[in-house]
Order: sequence, then C-alpha cells, then structure tokens
Amino acid sequence: MTEIADKKRGITVGIFIFIGLAIFLIGILTLGGQKKTFVKSFTVNVVFDDIQGLKVGNNVWFSGVKVGTIKKIQFFGTSQVQVFLSIEEAAHQYIHKDAKASINSDGLIGNKIIVIDGGSPKFPFVEDGDRLQVNKTLSTDDMMKTLQTNNKNLVDITTDFKILARNLVEGKGAAGALLADEQIAEDFKAMVANLETTAVSTNKMAKELNSFTAKMNTKGGLADKLFTDTAVFAKLESSVNEFQQTATAAAKLTENLKAASAKLNANDNALGLMLNDKQTAEQLKVIMRNLETSSQKLDEDLEALQHNFLLRGYFKKKAKEEAK
Amino acid sequence: MFYELYLVYQFIIKFFKEVFLPPYEGKEIMRQCYQVGYRSLALISLTGFITGIVFTKQSRPSLAEFGATSWLPSLVGIALLRTLAPLLTALISAGKVGSSIGAELGSMKVTEQIDAMEVSATNPFKFLVVSRVLATTITIPILTFYTALVGLLGSFVNVAMFEETSFSGFISSSLESITFLDIIASTIKAILFGFTIGMVGCYQGFNSSKGTEGVGKAANSSVVIGMFLVFIEEVLATQITFLFRT
Repeated sequence: MTEIADKKRGITVGIFIFIGLAIFLIGILTLGGQKKTFVKSFTVNVVFDDIQGLKVGNNVWFSGVKVGTIKKIQFFGTSQVQVFLSIEEAAHQYIHKDAKASINSDGLIGNKIIVIDGGSPKFPFVEDGDRLQVNKTLSTDDMMKTLQTNNKNLVDITTDFKILARNLVEGKGAAGALLADEQIAEDFKAMVANLETTAVSTNKMAKELNSFTAKMNTKGGLADKLFTDTAVFAKLESSVNEFQQTATAAAKLTENLKAASAKLNANDNALGLMLNDKQTAEQLKVIMRNLETSSQKLDEDLEALQHNFLLRGYFKKKAKEEAK
Repeated sequence: MFYELYLVYQFIIKFFKEVFLPPYEGKEIMRQCYQVGYRSLALISLTGFITGIVFTKQSRPSLAEFGATSWLPSLVGIALLRTLAPLLTALISAGKVGSSIGAELGSMKVTEQIDAMEVSATNPFKFLVVSRVLATTITIPILTFYTALVGLLGSFVNVAMFEETSFSGFISSSLESITFLDIIASTIKAILFGFTIGMVGCYQGFNSSKGTEGVGKAANSSVVIGMFLVFIEEVLATQITFLFRT
C-alpha cells in the first residue's frame, strides 16, 4: 500500500517537474526565436558619430521587419562608435553593399533601433564583416533645436501682437482710431449704409440694363435693325441728310424773318412807320374814317344816280336780263 | 552572534558534504518534493494569477496617460520574469514550506526523534536536512516557472478585456524586452531562494530547544529569517545582474 502511494507520489512529482521544465524550455526557445539566437547569422558593422543611447541587444530592422540585434558596441577612431550588427542569414539576399543604416526609435519614446535600407540591386549582397554606410537622419536633438527656434519666433510674434493690441485699445494709429473714435464709427456706419443703398441701386440698374440689352438684342426690334439692317441704316442716313438740309433752310428762313422783323421795328419804311409811329397811326385812323364817310356818301350818290332819268333805262334793261 | 554565524557556516558545509556522499535518500527527496512543490502548486498558481491581473490593472492608468497601453505586456513580462515570479514564489514558500520544515524538525528535535535516528544508525542530517533542502532547491525554481506562466496568463486576461490581442502576440510582446540574462538570473535567484528557505527551516528546526515553545519559535524564525534573507538576496542578485547587463 505504501509502495503504491510512493509510486503515485513519484509520478505526480515527475509530471510536476516535467511540466515546470517544459515551461522553462518553451520560454527559452520562444525567447531564442524572438532574439534570433538559434538562427544562423552574419555580422556587419556601422560606424556612427553618435549612437544616441543604442544598447547591445537592441533590434535591427529592415523594411519594418526585425532581422537581427546589436551584438557589440565599441569606440572607433577618435570619437566615433562602431556598432556590430548580427543579422539573420535569411535577410542576406535583400541587403546590398550600398545599403545604409540609421538610428531610429521604436515609436516616439520607444527603444532605439537600427534601420537598414536595402540599397540598390546594382550592387552585390553584403558579406560577413562588411561595413554599411550611415544614413544621417534628424535626431530628436535636431528636432528640439528647430522647435526652440520656432518657440523664439512665436515669442516675438506674440510680443508684437501685444503691442498692436495695446495700441488698438488706446486708440493709437489708424486702426486704433477706427476702433476708439465714435464719430468715425458712426461715419463708417453711415458709409456702409450708403454703400448698401448704392449696392441695391446698382443691382436694380444692372437688372434694368440687362433687360434693356435683352430688348436690344430681340430679333426684329428697332435697335436690332439699326445695328444689323443696312437698308434701314441707308434710309436713316438719307433722312438725316434731308433733315440737315431742312434745318439749313429753316435757319435761313429764320434769318430772313429776323431781318424782316428788324425792318418792321425800324421807322425808315412804310410798314415800320405804320407799326411803330403813333402819329402815322393816328393819321391812318383819320384817313380810314374819312374813307368810310366818303364811301357812305358815294353809296348814297350812286343810289341817287340809279334813279336818274338818264341812267334809269340801263338799269331796267339789266334787271330784265338777270330775271331771264 | 558570530558564534551563531559559525554554526550556520558549519551547517551549510555539512550539507554540501552530505549531499554528494551516499547513501542517497531518493524516496525521501521525492516525498519532500511532493510536499514542498506539488502541494504548494495551487496556492502559488492562484497567487501568481491574481498578481498578474492586479499588476496589469494597476499599471494600465499610468501607461494610458502616455497612450502606451501597448507596452503593458512588455512591462508585465519584465516585472514578472525578472522579479515578481521568483520573489513571490519564495515568499509564499517561506511562509508555507519554511514554517512547516521548522515546525516539523523542531518537534522531532524536542521529542528526541532525531537522537533516536542516530541511535538506529540512520544519518538524520542526510535524511531530514539534505532531502528537504534539495527538495526546496529543486521545486522552488519549478514553482517560479509556473508562477511566471500563470502570472502572464492573468495579465493576458486583463489585457484581452481592454485590447484585442492574441495570446501568442501577448507572449511575444511580453518577451520583447526580456533577455537570456534575465531568465538565467531569475532561475539562479529561484534556486538560491529555495536553498535559503530550506536551509533556514532545517537549521531552525534542527537546533530548536526548550520544548514546545522552541517548536513555535523555530517555525516563526524559519519564516521571518527566510523572508528577510530572500529580500537581501533579491537586492544583491539585482545588483549583480545589473553589472552583467551593463
């Protein structure tokens, strides 16, 4: 019974230890797979002026794929740093001898990584021990310097704006006066109102002009004929010429009338004398009165003559002929 | 105090002498492995799982402030594999196993069972101490691997609740910042913790006195001194690992 219990216990302990060791081994293998530890690799190196905190074990990326890790870092020359990259053999056929390496960041604040671009196909593939060229990129420090310059510019701009705003508030300058002076504001308001009215009028005028031009462009209309019909134009020209001649004749007539009226106003002729001299008018009146009296008397004399025996036969004869 | 240190030194030397010399107490070692390892698995797994969930949950707001919640698996991976898994396992074991060994050996000492073993030509040191220390030294690293895995599972459960991720993607991200040095250092640390817990428990139990009071004292001292030494070793191990890392 004890032996069976011991065996059972032994199996349990065996399974317990086996699973524990399996977890450990799987962890090691997974980690090794991630770190490319058990993958055949080759080494290339790059010499940087500044490695920006790159560490052994950091990743090497090629086209966004992890292809290796940083194997070793050492000083080179006077102040440069030589970085040895362990790259998996599978990536060998994509990296050419003119490939460039740059230090980048895994995310904005992530770990430092080395990024390799593939180079051009004209060049052969890299070999173990080759040195890659450096692709200089903007570092965070460079970006911070640019940002600092921008900040200074921003401070200058805001200072200028501050002065400008103060002047505006105090009513200095044309813009300040415009904002601060009530009279100018009223004038400006009136001006805007006028402008508005003008705009309405202009709009109306434009509409009317539009309508007018539309009418002018109507086929068969007067304006259209004027602009397009040559016969009408010729007639119009002829009429204008005749009108001009008439005007010239009328001008002459006017001149003659003017001369006649001038003569009528003068006293050196009979009509002028008659129209202008009172004495002559009086005399004419007397003459006319005398003539009237004379004609009455003559009328009476002739009546009397008809009844005269010498002429009575003639008048009777004439009456008979008229009666026939 | 210095005499005490000398006794401890002698105790450790005796262990290394006995461990390689036959006869080997295989059955007893296996029985102790069962008691120390398998019987602690449920407690350790539960603690590890809860730690994974809680650590991830507590870390999330800080990382979310930077919009870096995608770093959670990496953070949890570093924390668990470098420190939490070995330390947590060691502390739980110091409480559960260390006190048990101290009390067991203490009561055997008080009831003169150890003396009786000597009389019956059985090497009590080899049978009681070597087997227990070996059991703790073997099983605590194994328990540490379990804790790490279960802790990562707990973390994954929390991460999967908020972000869409697969378990393989999560494990891959967790191991991203882990190096072989971390794994080796943690394993060595766990072995050291196991050895320390076993040694402290056995020493306190083996040298207990004053009757039943001594048994309680031995159990208590096993836990307190065991935990204290685990923390001291953790600090030293971190410093030494850091030296290797740079």
